[in-house]
Amino acid sequence: MNLKLAPDADSPVSAPSREEEYALIQRILRGEKELFHHLVRPYERRVYVMAFAILRNEADAQDAAQDALFKAFKHLAQFRSEARFSTWLIQVTLNEARMRLRKNHLEIMRPIDEVEQEDGSYTPRDFTDWREIPSEALERKQVREMLVKALASLTQKYREVFVLRDVQHLSTEEAADVLGISPGAVKTRLLRARLMLRDFLAPGLDGAWANPSTLPKGTKPWS
Amino acid sequence: MVLKCEDIWREISNYVDGDLDPQLKVAMDEHFAGCAKCRSVFDGTRNVVQIYGDEKAFKLPANFHPQLHRQLEARVQGTRAQGSAWILAVAAMILLAASVWVVTLHNRAAVPVHHTMSPETAERIKTLVVVAGDTKYFHLAGCPYIHGQQRTMFADEALRQGLIPCDKCLKDLAEQLTGIGPIRDNDVASKDPAMDAE
Repeated sequence: MNLKLAPDADSPVSAPSREEEYALIQRILRGEKELFHHLVRPYERRVYVMAFAILRNEADAQDAAQDALFKAFKHLAQFRSEARFSTWLIQVTLNEARMRLRKNHLEIMRPIDEVEQEDGSYTPRDFTDWREIPSEALERKQVREMLVKALASLTQKYREVFVLRDVQHLSTEEAADVLGISPGAVKTRLLRARLMLRDFLAPGLDGAWANPSTLPKGTKPWS
Repeated sequence: MVLKCEDIWREISNYVDGDLDPQLKVAMDEHFAGCAKCRSVFDGTRNVVQIYGDEKAFKLPANFHPQLHRQLEARVQGTRAQGSAWILAVAAMILLAASVWVVTLHNRAAVPVHHTMSPETAERIKTLVVVAGDTKYFHLAGCPYIHGQQRTMFADEALRQGLIPCDKCLKDLAEQLTGIGPIRDNDVASKDPAMDAE
């Protein structure tokens, strides 16, 4: 197998149209297996982020991403073209990450608010004014680590919905299909996930983090 | 429509997604104009969506793509190698079966098997037995009680697995080992082991 990499392997690759993707899949299924990497290359980042969001560990996420892509390769014939290939791939990755989580018994480390009601009611705990965030702030490792920590604070069911909707940008219906829950449940969980993340982040991210020079030396905006 | 803060919080996610009834949206806009708390909740929720939706929020590990590419390539090649190995294994089994068949023919023609292979191999092949169906019995070649799906294995392996020779084969073996001639049928219960298994 001689897979050709893009000239800059870390640069984002735009996804092909659904028709192009379908044609590519048919060619792979007919034996041109070397094309598989072209098929998944645009989604590798999303696969990794999905695995990382569930497993919360870089090494595990890398392994899970690799296994998920290999499983997608082995079971490509099972892909039904009614769904987007990217959605199917994300579902394969989610299943792989969940399986690893169960295998590693990591679920015992889940936060304790798993029994919350799903009636959609949630009272924000913090009303700090949080100014708009410049995208450049995400270049800072401290900020990214804080986002990971906040995401990890959510229970798995909220984290899964939030990642599918707001990180993977799936529609409510697609997220519902992936998770096997109703669109209403997706909306309810998403509301709570967003508000919980806001509560977690807002006290520190009230704008000061965008301009760290305003903070006393040695302090972190979220500590 | 007058909304309370609790109503706003319940709908704020839909508001961020633009997934609202137009009338409700107008009512929420009016509420935001006069409620700093709800405005801050809205700003924060919108920021959460915006910040996590940014590709830069999650940094990929160094060399992620090339490493993944290499590993994936190796595994796909591994699949092919496994496929080739499977074909080789089947080919080997066919060759072995053919060899046994040839040896059997040679035996029938009274040609010593050690002419075609080493004496050790020849002796080893003589210990091949047949396991038929899902029973606890194995049979010597030619046993009339061989029924159903068949597989072969060496006798010592069959014994290790807890299998035992069927009554007829046990009788034949006893005759061969003791050299005392045929044993009468009523000395060893004669019945179809397959029936016993059922």
